Amino acid sequence: MTDQALITQFQEGDNKEAAFTLLLKRHQENVFFQIKKMVHEHADADDIAQAVWIKVWNKLDSFKQESAFSTWLFRVACNETLNFIAQKKRLKTHSTQNEIDHAFDHPSDHNGLKETSIQIKLERAIAELPDKQRFVFMLRYYEAYDYEKIASITGTTVGGAKANYHQAVKKMTTLFQAS
Amino acid sequence: MHLISDMENESISKELEEALKSFESKNKQVPAGYFDQFELDLMQKIKVQEQAPKRAPIVALFLEHKQYLVAASLFFAIATGFLFFNNVEKNITSVAKVEMIEIETLPDELIEAYVINNEFVAEVEWNTAIETEAALLSKQ
Repeated sequence: MTDQALITQFQEGDNKEAAFTLLLKRHQENVFFQIKKMVHEHADADDIAQAVWIKVWNKLDSFKQESAFSTWLFRVACNETLNFIAQKKRLKTHSTQNEIDHAFDHPSDHNGLKETSIQIKLERAIAELPDKQRFVFMLRYYEAYDYEKIASITGTTVGGAKANYHQAVKKMTTLFQAS
Repeated sequence: MHLISDMENESISKELEEALKSFESKNKQVPAGYFDQFELDLMQKIKVQEQAPKRAPIVALFLEHKQYLVAASLFFAIATGFLFFNNVEKNITSVAKVEMIEIETLPDELIEAYVINNEFVAEVEWNTAIETEAALLSKQ
């Protein structure tokens, strides 16, 4: 059953829960890992992912299917993630930079993988990127999404998405080599 | 992982690419059964949300005719202002005019009556003044 058919089933109120659960099963991993790459902390990624899917449940009735469901879903995820990061930065309790600094000062066995200096260098370089640029980079590099889809997800132009990706690669290379 | 392998990534060094690969595998670590539990927790939250009493929607009255209401309000305000200021001006000029008309068109009888009525007051004033002056002169 396609995403479109499931959305139609949901919108017609014909066993909404089953349709939603299938959509969730199909896309939850991609969404979760994209969020996790942005915020690092599992608990934070979990909170954001929950918020994303609740929003999807609430708004799916008004989704007009003008774009692919995955594009719309990632747009919701992008907004939620960027809002979360901005909020966290405002609170200045657990900024990404602090976490990276902490990891840099105290290399530990994190998530079952030994932190190497290369990984820490990379995390530092990633953390230095502006949030939106980081999101664009993750979508392009790891998900191999085309620029049109990335532009649609991040609310920018195709040119803007391309520029963001190339800037991100350039900055990361420089920061990675410098640190 | 769907690492893109076209020309645009040639600028990414081998070392950076390796680090990016390990970054992804590190971020793909989740506790066993995490996604099943995620689904259960989420559906539970949604059920709670659906069962909670829904807030009555706020209905904005006349929302469809908002522009007409704004236009009518503006027209009313301008008209009121115009009428108010115009009226004030009219009152001022009419007072002035009334005074001018009264002075110019007073009938002789009315003037005579006024003089007769006020003659005594005038005389008293004149007499008082003469008496005061006389008293001053006699002192000198």
